[in-house]
Amino acid sequence: MSKISRRDLLQYIGAGGIGVVGGVLYGESVQQNVELLIPQVVPPEDYSPGVATWYNTVCNQCPAGCGISVRIREGKAKKIEGNPVHPVSQGRTCARGQAGLNALYNPDRIRTPLQNVGQRGSGNFEEISWDEALTTVGSRIGRLKIDNEASRVRLLCGRVRGHLDELFLQFMNLLGSDHYQQYDFTYPSALMAANKMSFGTDVLPYYDIRNAVFLLSFGADYLGTWISPVHHSLAYGHLRQGREGRRGKTIQIEPRMSLSGAAADEWIAARPGTEGLLALGIAHALVSEGHYHGSDRDEWSKALQAYSPSLVSAETEVSEDKILRLAREFGTSTASLAIAGGATAAGTNAVASIVAVNALNYLAGNLSQPGGIIFNPDPAFSATAGSRQAGFQGMLDLIGAMKAGDVDVLLVHDTNPVFALPDNVGFRQAMQNVPLIIALSSFRDETTEMADLILPTSTYLESWGDDVPDPGVGFPVASISQPVVATLYDTLPVGDIVLSLARQIGGELPIHMRWGTMEEFIKERWREEYDQRGSEGEEQEFEAFWQAALEAGVWGQPGAVAGDQPVPLSSSMIASIADPVSRFAGDESDYPFVLHPYLTATFFDGRGANLPWLQEMPDPMTSVVYGSWVELNPVTADELGIREGDVLDVESPAGSVRVPALIFPAIRPGVVAIPVGQGHAAYGRYARDRGVNPIHIVATLIDDQSGDLAWAATRVKLKLTGERLQIIKTDGVTRTLGRQILGPENDHA
Amino acid sequence: MSTFVEKLRQYRKPGYYDKFDYHWTMTIDLDRCTGCEACMVACQAENNLPIVGEKRFAENREIKWIRIERYWEGEYPDVKMRFIPMLCQHCDDAPCETACPVFATYHNQDGLNTQIYNRCIGTRTCAVYCPYEVRYFNWFTYTWDEPLEQQLNPDVTVREKGVMEKCTFCIQRIRIAKDNAKDDDRRRVRDGEVVPACVQSCPTEALVFGNSNDPEAKVSKMMKNPRGYKVLEELNTTPSIVYLTKVHS
Amino acid sequence: MFDHGQPSYAEVNKDVLSVMLETGPKYWMLLGTTMSVAGICFFMPWIYQLFVGVGAAGMNRNAVWGSYLSNFIFWIGLSHSGTLLSAVLHITNSPWRKAIYRSAEAMTLFSLMTAAMFVMVHLGRVWFVHWSFPIPNQMGLWPNFRSPLMFDVMAITTYLTASSIFIYMGSVPDFAAVRDASTGLRRRLYTIFSFGWRGTAREWHTLGWAYTFFAIFVIPLAVSVHSIVSWDFALSIVPGLHHTIFAPYFVCGAIFSGTAGIVTVMYCLRKFLNFERYIGQVHLDSLGKLLITLSLIWSYINILELFSSWYGGTSFELEALQFKLTGFYAPLYWEMILFCAFVPLLILFKKIRWSWNKMLVISILINVGMLTERFIIVATSQPRKFLPDAFGFYFPSWIELSITVGAFAIFATLFLIFIKWVPAISIYEVKETLKPLRRDA
Repeated sequence: MSKISRRDLLQYIGAGGIGVVGGVLYGESVQQNVELLIPQVVPPEDYSPGVATWYNTVCNQCPAGCGISVRIREGKAKKIEGNPVHPVSQGRTCARGQAGLNALYNPDRIRTPLQNVGQRGSGNFEEISWDEALTTVGSRIGRLKIDNEASRVRLLCGRVRGHLDELFLQFMNLLGSDHYQQYDFTYPSALMAANKMSFGTDVLPYYDIRNAVFLLSFGADYLGTWISPVHHSLAYGHLRQGREGRRGKTIQIEPRMSLSGAAADEWIAARPGTEGLLALGIAHALVSEGHYHGSDRDEWSKALQAYSPSLVSAETEVSEDKILRLAREFGTSTASLAIAGGATAAGTNAVASIVAVNALNYLAGNLSQPGGIIFNPDPAFSATAGSRQAGFQGMLDLIGAMKAGDVDVLLVHDTNPVFALPDNVGFRQAMQNVPLIIALSSFRDETTEMADLILPTSTYLESWGDDVPDPGVGFPVASISQPVVATLYDTLPVGDIVLSLARQIGGELPIHMRWGTMEEFIKERWREEYDQRGSEGEEQEFEAFWQAALEAGVWGQPGAVAGDQPVPLSSSMIASIADPVSRFAGDESDYPFVLHPYLTATFFDGRGANLPWLQEMPDPMTSVVYGSWVELNPVTADELGIREGDVLDVESPAGSVRVPALIFPAIRPGVVAIPVGQGHAAYGRYARDRGVNPIHIVATLIDDQSGDLAWAATRVKLKLTGERLQIIKTDGVTRTLGRQILGPENDHA
Repeated sequence: MSTFVEKLRQYRKPGYYDKFDYHWTMTIDLDRCTGCEACMVACQAENNLPIVGEKRFAENREIKWIRIERYWEGEYPDVKMRFIPMLCQHCDDAPCETACPVFATYHNQDGLNTQIYNRCIGTRTCAVYCPYEVRYFNWFTYTWDEPLEQQLNPDVTVREKGVMEKCTFCIQRIRIAKDNAKDDDRRRVRDGEVVPACVQSCPTEALVFGNSNDPEAKVSKMMKNPRGYKVLEELNTTPSIVYLTKVHS
Repeated sequence: MFDHGQPSYAEVNKDVLSVMLETGPKYWMLLGTTMSVAGICFFMPWIYQLFVGVGAAGMNRNAVWGSYLSNFIFWIGLSHSGTLLSAVLHITNSPWRKAIYRSAEAMTLFSLMTAAMFVMVHLGRVWFVHWSFPIPNQMGLWPNFRSPLMFDVMAITTYLTASSIFIYMGSVPDFAAVRDASTGLRRRLYTIFSFGWRGTAREWHTLGWAYTFFAIFVIPLAVSVHSIVSWDFALSIVPGLHHTIFAPYFVCGAIFSGTAGIVTVMYCLRKFLNFERYIGQVHLDSLGKLLITLSLIWSYINILELFSSWYGGTSFELEALQFKLTGFYAPLYWEMILFCAFVPLLILFKKIRWSWNKMLVISILINVGMLTERFIIVATSQPRKFLPDAFGFYFPSWIELSITVGAFAIFATLFLIFIKWVPAISIYEVKETLKPLRRDA
């Protein structure tokens, strides 16, 4: 055994000590950030790990206003489902609603306030603080207000309902500007105008597809895009198989088969623009064949004299037999319903066409009947004012004002007119004349890109709000929208931004708009509403009511149907009947094809294009993903020698787009269809530079009566470019080849 | 030994799971289905299906546990479009189950055709053998653009490259429902307590899901519908999905 | 028997062993080339594929099996004639087998190894390949013996083991010859390899008995291996694959392609290792006749397959048939028919049968045809199954093509190593065929 001397021992200790210190230092230097399985030692109170909670709120992917439930785990939103107690969605959701999570967790969201530092529209933005941003905006608007120039401030937003609408209105009123407008490409302006003429009501009626037995749809893709698709789908399921032994029948009249056309028992491609005429032809047959027994029969038959089925047949290219048969079925079914939308409501004859369809409903006697048109009572919120939709005409006025230099500050929220207006109206160019454009937006879409200042808004899943579904469901309903997750970034709900701006501008604004947050504002309004309706229902403290409404996400009064429904006068209906044939932009000899742009069930009017789940969802009718295409009838394609994937120049009098051809069996020869939704120049990584936007080449014809853009009234010509492009589809062969895949033929109708 | 033989015999008896509590079944009413594809996105959200990107779609490598197949009938103007949702049929005599050399796919006692991602070695035989082509292979490890990954469902595995995946009838929801039933001292899950994501979302209520061992369940009643049929029935795979054919009028 | 006069016993030893003992720069260059081709064309793409996933290949949702699997079958098929032919001919006492069987068996072994490589390349998660073996584990997980792939694992490992033993056993006396002809380390090594073989009568007797036993044992094994490989396809219900004829079809095709492979290998041995004296016209003639027979059987089965598809008359089978005969891959199909059914008929002419060069071309064409046959089986059936909506298309990626080429380099590398370690011609059996030397001659 060797001995260790004291010196050695000290040396060892010294060396060991250095080693230990060195090791610790080294260990510290290479140590990685500690990642804990559960990051919080004391977890937040509002959730327990591993347990899912559900919050009810309102979907904002389209204007239908479906109630949704969001599943939250560990403070993160995991899944959107329909709110089972909400009368619009009844526990169901569409694909777009599901994809709302992609909007919340979108990688391309705006995360902080941004200021444009380069040329306008160049997309050079710099991060700034909220204080700075709000001060800039507040002082600018404040100065205008002091100078009594507040009317040079304009607010443009998408379809906004509920108390946010009131907040906007109040803000602009207090400011002293009456230029608060909304623009939504999908807003059924023509339908509203036509219903006003036919029924004298400002509120969209409830179309009771659920109880209908015979549904005649003139261009309305009620299952995909028209007004309230989820609710209509529920109704459709019931119409088909919900009643024992009685299967409802649906007919779809449109030049290009939509989802609803595919679901229909019969799809009729009348000549584009003559759908309203066809309705009148059917009406004529209804009266002349004796299916209408009203006292005003003679007046009707006089009014419809000019629309005998044989004449209509020649114009619409729908056989006389078919018109008579439709009239017979429509007249004899126990509950017939006719609706109009889509391209039928987007010609220069839109209002006249819808009026004609309304006449059909009148003749079928389905007004205020189950399975017919049910007139909604007044909305749930007594204070809700009428719609502030600018319509196409309003947008032209705005463009004019901008061009004339009448607009100093333009506030834009949740609308994308640069994308959703034809190119040649020059919205983008007019924006160059506006000294200050402020976008309140979650995404950098085309319009937001043009802004000088971007105030990032929280998405609807992070914001307070409320909503009155439009159309209602036959009884008063209001939904509450509440944040389901904590705000992800340095963003504010749009209501909070408006309130902050009010404080920033000063004067009487903060006195009247005294609420700290949107939540406070909404709660106060609901309290007032509650107090007003105090007598109704059982006695209950407001807090308890509020809590219950929050939990349910919705409040409604089933059964509270308005007592005195408007009974439309046939005289006014008869008087409003006009010759409904659409004009088209472009000469038929130069532009042989009618362009049929259509809203898609995937992207709606393009607002869904930045959501990857929707980009990856095959188009329901064609299975195409990630791109645009132009649909051609196989015969037309054959004649022109066009194969799938040939890139075509689609030229209208207003412009042209370059897009690959797709041979589509269910489109009328002489019509070409391009889906709306793609063709974004901005709007994040999933949408940018993908496909084309047909709205851009739409000629600016307007509906004769409502002044709305007639976006289905453009003619185009096709030019082969010689290029080819692979259209990405998920479908292989779309014929069954005689294989029994769809089940044995049977007729249980 | 004798008990062992007995067990084996029981095991080998066709339909051996009959003695168990559940036989999960789905009916799809094609007369209601509108092809809106809400089910596809619901499934994607629930089951952490990857966002594969345009390139992968072009290569035909998408992953959609439920898809809508489209079939045209006739020519213009009498042309009709027929949709049929196609998802794993959970066959009782599944061709895929015999194919896997490592038992990564097997039939569980609830009548589900299950896929164990951890066990899969990626021979892809099951996908070749499946006549419905509802098995999807992970050709790559897919990633989510930040912060999309925050949406991922913690109840469902995220799959890596080299693994086969397919519809599970949302087995995680079945498990949760069973656990709840157990916590409530119930022996069975109530009808309608388990709803897969696709069934839940379907706006036309075309999809109905339930336990066909329970004669009172809605799905059992739907199965008795004379319109009922099974896709590719002649292959004798005895699928657990009953389609109700579209009515022609 | 011997085209260039009968060699003496010593000459046999010298000729055969010189290949092993004398290595020139040419050999090293060749070996270097094959090894680098194998590395660049096979292993580098494979490593890339391991990192990104099997998506590097061209397979997709509609065709999840691709060229890796067709290559696997091809190499399994090529493996066939070696051991099988050797065993059959041994039992039937055909003397012409003796000069070629060693190389043929080596071919079997190396093609099997190459085929096994393709299984690895094919798998999605090859790092778990051991799960396909019944290795006891505490989870109680066991492989699925109902799976045809499991049959494969069993059949191929058995076949590989049996073939290895068969070739080794036949080589023991030759290892002894190497031992006797060498010095130093090699001598020590071959002492071990040869199990101390001394050449006593008892040893010869035991060897003969054991060898014959193994020959009989190996025949059903060989037939079963390719039957089982065919079941990977036939046990599916995929139209175009679900045929009862598949097992004999694959076995016949395998022997066909293997025999053609032997012709090719023999040509190379003759040409590059100077075995002209041992591998002569008689071998070529016999193999040629065998090829014709096999080609006719193969054609017959093909016609039968087409017929039963057509006669079945289901939409599924007819579609698969139509796609095969007239679809995108139809040129490949007709190329296969040309190379495997018509070209071999040329062998009927003695002029062609007796020409080494012409036979080389034909043998290579046959294997090209057989490689495409396997590809067609994989590429035309899967994308056209039952649901038309799920019809698709498959085209191999450059990675697959590269790996296909690289596999030949792997095979060549193994063979080049083999000829330096094992006498490529059986010395003792060649000697058996020599006419007894008469002292007075």
